[in-house]
Amino acid sequence: MPRRLRRSTPYLFLLPGGLWLVAFFVVPMVVMASVSLQEGSLGSGYSLTWNFPIYGEVLSDWAPQIVRSLWYALTVTVLTLLIGYPIAYTIAFRGGRAKTILLLLVILPFFTAFIIRTLSWKLILADNGFLLGSLKEIGLLDPAFRVLATPAAVISGLTYNFLPFMVLPLYVALERIDRHLLEAGEDLYASRLQTFLRVTLPLSMPGVFAGSLLVFIPAIGDFINAAILGSRDTTMIGNVIQRLFIQNNAYPEAAALGFVLMAAVLALVAIYARWVGSDALTRG
Amino acid sequence: MRDGHWHVMGRQTGPGRSSAEPRPRWPGVAAVVSLVIVVAACGIAGQGASPASTGSPDGPGPQTSSPAATVASSPTAPSGESAAPTGDTDPSPSAGATDTPSTAPAATPAGQLSFANWPLYIDIDEETGGYPTLEKFEQESGIDVTYAEDINANEEFFGRLQPDLAAGNPTGYDLIVMTDWMIERMARLGYLQELDHSLLPNFEANAEDLFRDAWYDPENRYSIPWQAGIVGIAYNPTLTGRPITTFDDLLDPEFAGRVGMFSEMRDTMSMALLSLGVEPVNATIEDVERARDKLLGPAQEGQFRAFYGNDYYDALAAGDLAITIAWSGDISQMKLYDNADVEFIVPESGGLLWVDSAAIPKAAEHPVDAHMVLDYFYDVDNAAPLTEYVGYFSPVRGVPDRVREDAQAARDEGDDEWADQLEIIADTAFPDEEQLENVFEYKRLSEEEERTWNELFGEVVTD
Amino acid sequence: MKAPLRRKPLGSRLAHAVLPVYTALAVLYLFIPIVVMVAFSFNDPRGRQNITWQGFTAQNYLDVWSRPDVTGPMITSLIVAVVATLGATVLGTLIGLALTRYQFRGRGPTNLLIYVPMATPEVILGASLLTLWVTAGVQRGLLTIIITHVMFNISYVVVTVRARIAGFDRALEEAAMDLGADGWTTFRKVTFPLILPGIVAAGLLAFVLSIDDYVITSFVSGQTRTFPLWVFGASRFGVPPEVNVLGTLIFVVAFATIAAQIVWARRRQGTELARSRRVAS
Repeated sequence: MPRRLRRSTPYLFLLPGGLWLVAFFVVPMVVMASVSLQEGSLGSGYSLTWNFPIYGEVLSDWAPQIVRSLWYALTVTVLTLLIGYPIAYTIAFRGGRAKTILLLLVILPFFTAFIIRTLSWKLILADNGFLLGSLKEIGLLDPAFRVLATPAAVISGLTYNFLPFMVLPLYVALERIDRHLLEAGEDLYASRLQTFLRVTLPLSMPGVFAGSLLVFIPAIGDFINAAILGSRDTTMIGNVIQRLFIQNNAYPEAAALGFVLMAAVLALVAIYARWVGSDALTRG
Repeated sequence: MRDGHWHVMGRQTGPGRSSAEPRPRWPGVAAVVSLVIVVAACGIAGQGASPASTGSPDGPGPQTSSPAATVASSPTAPSGESAAPTGDTDPSPSAGATDTPSTAPAATPAGQLSFANWPLYIDIDEETGGYPTLEKFEQESGIDVTYAEDINANEEFFGRLQPDLAAGNPTGYDLIVMTDWMIERMARLGYLQELDHSLLPNFEANAEDLFRDAWYDPENRYSIPWQAGIVGIAYNPTLTGRPITTFDDLLDPEFAGRVGMFSEMRDTMSMALLSLGVEPVNATIEDVERARDKLLGPAQEGQFRAFYGNDYYDALAAGDLAITIAWSGDISQMKLYDNADVEFIVPESGGLLWVDSAAIPKAAEHPVDAHMVLDYFYDVDNAAPLTEYVGYFSPVRGVPDRVREDAQAARDEGDDEWADQLEIIADTAFPDEEQLENVFEYKRLSEEEERTWNELFGEVVTD
Repeated sequence: MKAPLRRKPLGSRLAHAVLPVYTALAVLYLFIPIVVMVAFSFNDPRGRQNITWQGFTAQNYLDVWSRPDVTGPMITSLIVAVVATLGATVLGTLIGLALTRYQFRGRGPTNLLIYVPMATPEVILGASLLTLWVTAGVQRGLLTIIITHVMFNISYVVVTVRARIAGFDRALEEAAMDLGADGWTTFRKVTFPLILPGIVAAGLLAFVLSIDDYVITSFVSGQTRTFPLWVFGASRFGVPPEVNVLGTLIFVVAFATIAAQIVWARRRQGTELARSRRVAS
């Protein structure tokens, strides 16, 4: 390949997707940034007043919800990782010819509409429904026990719905690992566990990193799980933004809060990338 | 931190192997980022007349008369105009068309109509999937109706149409069905066309008085009702262990964690106001603050399981809720099919009458056709099948009697199941005397009031 | 699979069973709501809510075909999901390749451009796009939905594909080049097969995201209805069992397609194996 062409290759690869994102994401976001700095009302119209203090206001008004969302998203990321890693590992190393089928089995439930899935969960987990009702009848559970409308319900809802986002990248990274490396590992180290810790896990770190991002980032801004499975004390920042925007028509506040959330997420991703990047990833 | 971030990203993607190669340090990252933003800003400036600089913003809400939007809207305008002549070639004045400034261009139908409604809110033939009553209208009038189940929620639909409405563009819909308070808001913002009542003879003749001249739209200037219902309280006697009569029962600690409230601000706050002895129409901000205080304490102590939308139905039917704010039509359905125990009451302090109404958006292209279909559904012959399918209050006089006749006919034919269902619908197709005595109207809120009410309600809803 | 067994046979065999059993249980867990969905597709609700069991019927499976209000949005959703998945997968894979395989200036902003869309709240994304279309005078519909879905899917594709390419053994490509293959041949014969599982996984993710999106789509859909939009609106009055029927059918069709493909692949593998054996002997 001619040297000049080779140097321009990455830009050629970036160009179509990059332009797409600039046109249909960056440009609208600039508009939103301007909305966040406006004051006014639907009736009288809005005007740009460079109202920067609004960022401080929304941050102090909704700090508890931001912290709660962070906490939920972190929990969900760890849970999906713990639940998803063995699944991805089994499919990648033990799936044999059924690999694709198994992978598809993990994804298929998510082809159905979210509302149907969630409605199903609500039927199953109803306070006196099929599951809890029978447990209560035989005295295994306190009659007042419930799962729905608790933080646990929101977190498990998020975990369920984001599990494929963890499993897929993990599988993709694990499947790539050269079997000979593992055999060499088994020769070198005494136990399977050591082989796993010293060879497999480090080599799968790109998958862990990607999966964590794909779970954490959308989970922190999610509002649907909290809206359907949660209660007053599980309000997440996504719910607040949704309500400010759609119901209160408080466009500037909603936009500003959205940018606060985005900034928080990016900061965390940066920290995480540094942490993972400087540790495990570089060893690949 | 920013620089660290980019640096690490670079490292992460090319682990170890190529670390011998000199790696650019991204000294100019900030510069590149700002360049991207500047380019983007220019991009938007190129789209229309730079919105930021003219100070006429383009949030989905923010523009009332944005030059950017009006300029940009011109490409769509011609298509609208081109559609009109097809039906407007013969502007012969039709029967007694009074002058209706700029709202109804001519009293001649264009021969087509785009009608947005909620899913399952018109009679559907379950065999063919068609809309029998609407199809009859098409045959009789020769108007081609594009009926779309496009409305999922009041606020969301409003949010979707708002930019076009604010810019004066046609929304693509000639007729929409929204809940009363949204009709009020849209009329206040100038987003609706005035109706030409000379084109609505059936409405004039057959509308129940209850549904005329309501708080949200005096003299039905902008809308006429489609279907309606009552906000009251539903409870499950086997779970409450006693009959429920008042709003304050919702706050009884005995039911803690098994009480449902509505996420719809007007419903929940107006019910609470009534329980304080304040009619919502007379409510002052102080009253609303008292209502907030009344709900806030119990909310903080976990009295309410959640603030529900339509999904309160499932929770109530499943027994997750012992008592909840509820819509009347739902509960008659629930008693019949999903949970026979559940009862609906209008609390002693009063309930609320809600009305879903049909209106014509500003700049709609086929307003005359829209009037015609609306009036068509105010003929009992056409309103009855609608109610028999939908099951809410009908605003059309004589519908309950007609439904009862149909029930008898079904029984004579031996279809007892259908007859039973029709009888229930006939009984609930109009509020009874007792309910009517204790049903109140919502308050018209100015934008300022609405914001305050929303903020106060937000404290109750959000921890 | 025959992994070399060196440890105590019994313990090892038990340990060997733990993972498959766990995975089977996990898959079962994922399927719980699907079981309910399938069960209620055979329900015969006389009211409008399909939430309590009222009798078995297969009639829903016949009725669904005459319900364009239900099937129309489903078809739209499938079209959107397929097209958006293809588009996003191509664009995202190219970006993923650029980010992992090449050194270039501007990697930082590119990373920002990838992560920020994922971090943007859905209402904000939807509303800002609606503003863009209104300002540009573009009628909303199928096209704007697809454009939007491609946009929000790109990031997910990039992140997933990257997990595959990161740490990818360049030596293989270099070997191919040394053997005289040109860039394109190397890509086609070496690089692409190696990253294909990543691309497939990314495509699956994009499809799942696209077919289930509600919030963003609701802003940019104009008068076009996707399945989630219709179902959400219908939930005000009760979701009919035909919705469960469609969910079940999609499930069955997707599963059957993949199963058939695998059987076919295996059979082809088998015949090739047999042929090579014949040649060898």
